[in-house]
Amino acid sequence: MSENRALLVEMAEGLFADLAGASFEAAWPRVAEAGFASLLVSADQGGFGGDWGDVLAVLRLAGLNAVAAPVAEPIIAHALLAQAGIAAPAGLVTLVGRSGRTPFGRHADAVVSVADGVLSLHARGAFTVEEGTSLAGEPSDLVKLTGAPAASAPCAADLDGLGAFARVAQASGALESAFTLAIDHVNTRVQFGRTLAKFQAVQQALAEFSEEAAAVDAAAAACAAALDVGDAGFEIAAAKMRLGLAVDRATPIAHRMHGAIGFTMEYALNRYTRRLMAWRSEFGNDAFWAEALGRRVAVLGGHGLWREVAARTDRLIGQEA
Amino acid sequence: MQIFPLHPFRPQGDIPALRQQVRDLVAQHENRWSVLQRANCWFSFDAEFSKALGAAGLLGMTWPKQYGGHERTMLERYVVLEELLAAGAPAGLHWIADRQTGALLVRYGTEAQREKYLPGMARGEIYACIGLSEPNSGSDLASVRTSARRTQEGWRVNGQKVWTSGAHKSHAALTLLRTEEGSERQQGLSQLMIDLDTPGITIRPIIDMTGTHHFNEIFFDDVLLPLDALVGVEGQGWKQVTAELALERSGPERYLSSHILLVALIDAIGPEPTPEIAQQIGRLTAEMWTLRQMSMSTAAKLDAGEDPIVEAAIVKDLGNAYEQALPRLVQAAVDVDLAGSSALSQLLAYYLLAAPSFSLRGGTPEVLRGIIAKGLGLR
Repeated sequence: MSENRALLVEMAEGLFADLAGASFEAAWPRVAEAGFASLLVSADQGGFGGDWGDVLAVLRLAGLNAVAAPVAEPIIAHALLAQAGIAAPAGLVTLVGRSGRTPFGRHADAVVSVADGVLSLHARGAFTVEEGTSLAGEPSDLVKLTGAPAASAPCAADLDGLGAFARVAQASGALESAFTLAIDHVNTRVQFGRTLAKFQAVQQALAEFSEEAAAVDAAAAACAAALDVGDAGFEIAAAKMRLGLAVDRATPIAHRMHGAIGFTMEYALNRYTRRLMAWRSEFGNDAFWAEALGRRVAVLGGHGLWREVAARTDRLIGQEA
Repeated sequence: MQIFPLHPFRPQGDIPALRQQVRDLVAQHENRWSVLQRANCWFSFDAEFSKALGAAGLLGMTWPKQYGGHERTMLERYVVLEELLAAGAPAGLHWIADRQTGALLVRYGTEAQREKYLPGMARGEIYACIGLSEPNSGSDLASVRTSARRTQEGWRVNGQKVWTSGAHKSHAALTLLRTEEGSERQQGLSQLMIDLDTPGITIRPIIDMTGTHHFNEIFFDDVLLPLDALVGVEGQGWKQVTAELALERSGPERYLSSHILLVALIDAIGPEPTPEIAQQIGRLTAEMWTLRQMSMSTAAKLDAGEDPIVEAAIVKDLGNAYEQALPRLVQAAVDVDLAGSSALSQLLAYYLLAAPSFSLRGGTPEVLRGIIAKGLGLR
């Protein structure tokens, strides 16, 4: 880990742990003040000058602590604006993806969207907000672009893809937290005269859970490495699809291990599992990414698939890990 | 802390050139391989191809040069293995010797044993098998009873091994034996390298439900072996075998042994799939791709000198779940004539029957999850 990343992680760990369980109103000013939004903006342009590995580290920690404020979206929005040479406005700048659903959209000062290779920045007043609520109980607002953009520029980025990567990164942290809660619970809860952890069926289920968490971590790391060398379309499609499977397999285990206590609002598990269930749908669900990836593979052909998979990691050789 | 801390896979050297070398070699030999020979390819046999790999310096890649090895990295070796598997190249004759028996001899063998076996293994001419399971010792390997007793003439071996893959094609079997009379469980076990042409050894085939002969029974009837057949330290057999199993579990064969079925599916469907089939292909690709990231990370850990026992168990368990689901998903999604002669028909018919074997070789899901649970501190 680079020295910069170590410092970044230390700062994010402390802040996000502080913000665990905090409301948007309490959390957002501190997230904004910490300056994560400029993580991918180059130092020349006044940013942190980080890479996608740094983004993964921060988003994983945000997911680990179920931070109730937008961390991912401003990072991507500011990065795309900086690439396009558009000055970012003050306040919360977030993303509008293909679905129009925008976490914390009602609090946004400006939104970035990409359509047909053109990035647009809309300031408040140039979009409407229809309020909604996510599975996790957070604002999930339908944003419609109604006015003229404040700025626009050509943009090759796949905004939904970058959003999907963000969800995989956040989910890797949330899976770890749900897993840790389950482990702690089975190690302390006594039934039939022994801790639940002593039952083989429980051990086997938690082993399965750990496999899914490991798969998402591996997928997220591979996406970050690909993003840092350029195109990551293949990796992100595969990773978001794989996240769908992991949520499908692991979240029921987390709840099963906890019994009724895990189903209460008071107990922390729902902070993670509700987000995991929501994130599975956001920025493209399983079917969306599976079909995109499947079409891409069909064009490559059977042997072409392997050549592509191998070439996509061979291009990382010589890159700093 | 991440449950499965990742190691980035960043091999040194010209990896694209190494891949091309393997692909060229496969292209020179593949005309004579049948569809079914390419299925489950690390269990199928082509002596000429094994020799060609040896001549190209692609066997014993990580072993010392003085024993015929090539002193390359585990990661370079990994690249060769995954290319062979992805191509469905019949590599079964030398697979075990190259993967674990040779590596174990490098680590624990005597000078004489290394000189006797390693150069031939690296040439692709000496094949090995592993004598572990017995009629009453399957998942519970520590209960083995086949015995070796020290006598004045040498080791005297009696008993029986079973499910020994490739014994009928192998020159030697690295065998786990109870060398201390009256010892229990993990104590008193040792490994002996047994030449299979030694008098008193009988090998009988067991035909599996696909109709193929991989499995064998090996009977040892008062078999006399020289004292220097002992590999490593007497009484340390359990520890040595456990290290060997990490090598056995973590490789790319744990998710790529049926890759050519995915290839055949994609080719049969063509470039314009329906949304449903595209989703199915996308899902399978996503699982395969993720397993590759995990398997490469585990290989990188091995290369760094770590002992990733839990990680290897995770890769193997997820890998065999994927490989067992693959033929079932293909069968459910595509109307394939299982008695037909197309590549997809032959492969699907074969893998539907072969899939149960994926969760027995190298440990059942229950055994693997037990290892993971232990790593998680649950037992």
